[in-house]
Amino acid sequence: MTSGKGIGRRRAGGDQILRGLVASAAIAVVILLLALGAELIIHSSLSLVTFGPSFLIGTTWDPVHQIFGALPFLFGTILTSILALLIGLPIGLGVAIFLAEKAKGRRLFGYTLGTLVELLAAVPSVIYGLWGLFFLSPILRTYVETPLHNYLGFLPIFASAPFGLDFFTAGVILAIMIIPTVSAVSRDILNAVPNSQREAMYSLGGTHWEVIRKAVLPYARSGIFGATILGLGRAVGETMAVTMVIGNTPRITASLFSGGYTLAAVIANEFTEASYPLYTAALVEIGLILFGLALIINLLARLLIWRMTRNTRFRV
Amino acid sequence: MYPLMSSWVFAYTQVQPNIQVNYASIGSGAGIAQITAGTLNFGESDAPLKTTQYAALPSGSTLLTIPISDSAVVPAYNIPGIASTTHLKFTGSVLAEIFLGNITMWNDPALAALNPGVTLPANPITVIHRSDGSGTMYAFTNYLSDSSAKWKSQVGFATSVNWPVGIGCKGNEGVAGCIANTQYSLGPLEIAYEITNSGAINYGSVQNHAGNFILANLTNINLAVKAGASAGLPAGNAQWSGFSIINNIYNDSTDTQVYPITTFTYALVYQSLSASYAGTSQAQAVGAVNFLWWVVNSGQNAGAKIGYPPLPSNVVTLDDTTLSSITYNGTPVYTGS
Repeated sequence: MTSGKGIGRRRAGGDQILRGLVASAAIAVVILLLALGAELIIHSSLSLVTFGPSFLIGTTWDPVHQIFGALPFLFGTILTSILALLIGLPIGLGVAIFLAEKAKGRRLFGYTLGTLVELLAAVPSVIYGLWGLFFLSPILRTYVETPLHNYLGFLPIFASAPFGLDFFTAGVILAIMIIPTVSAVSRDILNAVPNSQREAMYSLGGTHWEVIRKAVLPYARSGIFGATILGLGRAVGETMAVTMVIGNTPRITASLFSGGYTLAAVIANEFTEASYPLYTAALVEIGLILFGLALIINLLARLLIWRMTRNTRFRV
Repeated sequence: MYPLMSSWVFAYTQVQPNIQVNYASIGSGAGIAQITAGTLNFGESDAPLKTTQYAALPSGSTLLTIPISDSAVVPAYNIPGIASTTHLKFTGSVLAEIFLGNITMWNDPALAALNPGVTLPANPITVIHRSDGSGTMYAFTNYLSDSSAKWKSQVGFATSVNWPVGIGCKGNEGVAGCIANTQYSLGPLEIAYEITNSGAINYGSVQNHAGNFILANLTNINLAVKAGASAGLPAGNAQWSGFSIINNIYNDSTDTQVYPITTFTYALVYQSLSASYAGTSQAQAVGAVNFLWWVVNSGQNAGAKIGYPPLPSNVVTLDDTTLSSITYNGTPVYTGS
């Protein structure tokens, strides 16, 4: 095909150009990523130099006395993301299992339900924040947090008096936001599990639930893990929805009903008012930490999925 | 400040339809930062520049500070069971103790002593403050610093501080919403936001140096501004870092009806405008100066309806002098039109 003149040569030329264009696009993305990281490092250099590694373990954030530390925000980001996964993963996976396994015979119903779940992803983050602040937070406070605090308040995680604007509410909102991601990806994964697996389990006498639990889910494990990480990636970076319901107080505590703060929220709240260079640099360093966190999560996920799938034919 | 600015912009377009003012409500710190960077025709801030911020301005330039309005910060609260006609009484030191986390219950003896006829509930106080930097918080923490040496050394005053206790909500609207949604909560709120939310939240009176408990209204805010400005205002082209109405009236016992937590809002504009600064054209310079002139001289009544009292006449006179000194390429901009 590539030999000879005329048509053959033109095709080769066209291929070259296409390859060049596509390669440039890929390289451009890598350059963009590197440039983003470099900009973050450059603009946070004042803070990196002033605080060094103590920034990562510092617990005080005091703009008046010019002392900055990122640990409360890191704690808040990780805690709310874990909460979001603990709540959102079972629900998202449940939706996916229902759609992939139980709704198979009812196409239109499955399609409608699937679309409605995915519509959750279409709601803008700030709308979730408003809804959370005015609707969900009072309800959670009255019907969930206050009873838990009253009856189980001896447990450290329920120890603070609940006001509705805390890690717990933020975790619930984030869970709702990651459900569409988790369910959509998981449903595709489950659909990709070959029927031979299911048939084998049925032939051994398994019930439908046993088939799901023992044949389908283990096979799809790495893919579901990938869906989880995608959800985690979204939860880590969420800004507006979190800042409106988390209480915005830098605090490290075991209690879910205490106000907290996340990396993304502090940048959103304080960046426009950062009135001196060290303050701005400290906030950019928070951004650098968030950037690094997101990269690490994604790389870790890729590594684990690679390890799980390298000996199997099934790839995500 | 945003409600006032947007009503001014709207009213000014009725007067001068061909001038368009674009206003972005991004916070006092950002206003100062942007004017330093030279990207705005004029900036606005509830807090004057600090000496370090003046030092960061482009060398050789003079930034004019022009008070264009005044406002007050009130202690707003949500206590079911206390009638809306009852306004709780607070003092600066009690407020400082509450915001330091030392007074935690509504029925604390200190609060009960100030409010003898009221049955205060045995509930913990949920403290609410701004999560973003804010001139309103600058004024409030200024007042707390005056009221409590402990607050001054531990926390200090600025647009953003390390609050010892409490929940942060974004924006004055956020604080109002949080107070409205959280029972037994207390937070500092700009009075204009209290007026618009008066159904859900109430506000208390604050004791001034003369010993009177003043419930903020247009009259006593106006008195506070007059008293605070009476000892003399810096010239428009001078540094305003040390100027604070709150500090000036904190120890004032002669003006008996002043509201203690009162503050100016400032417009910030460079004295010598030219195309080299932000690409300002002659028309933009004229437009900006004329708008500010209108705001200071004709627009003050528009603010009164939403809780921002008109500036006293000595401040207006000072502002007129300052505005007249603005030049474009060396020629004074304001020509009296």
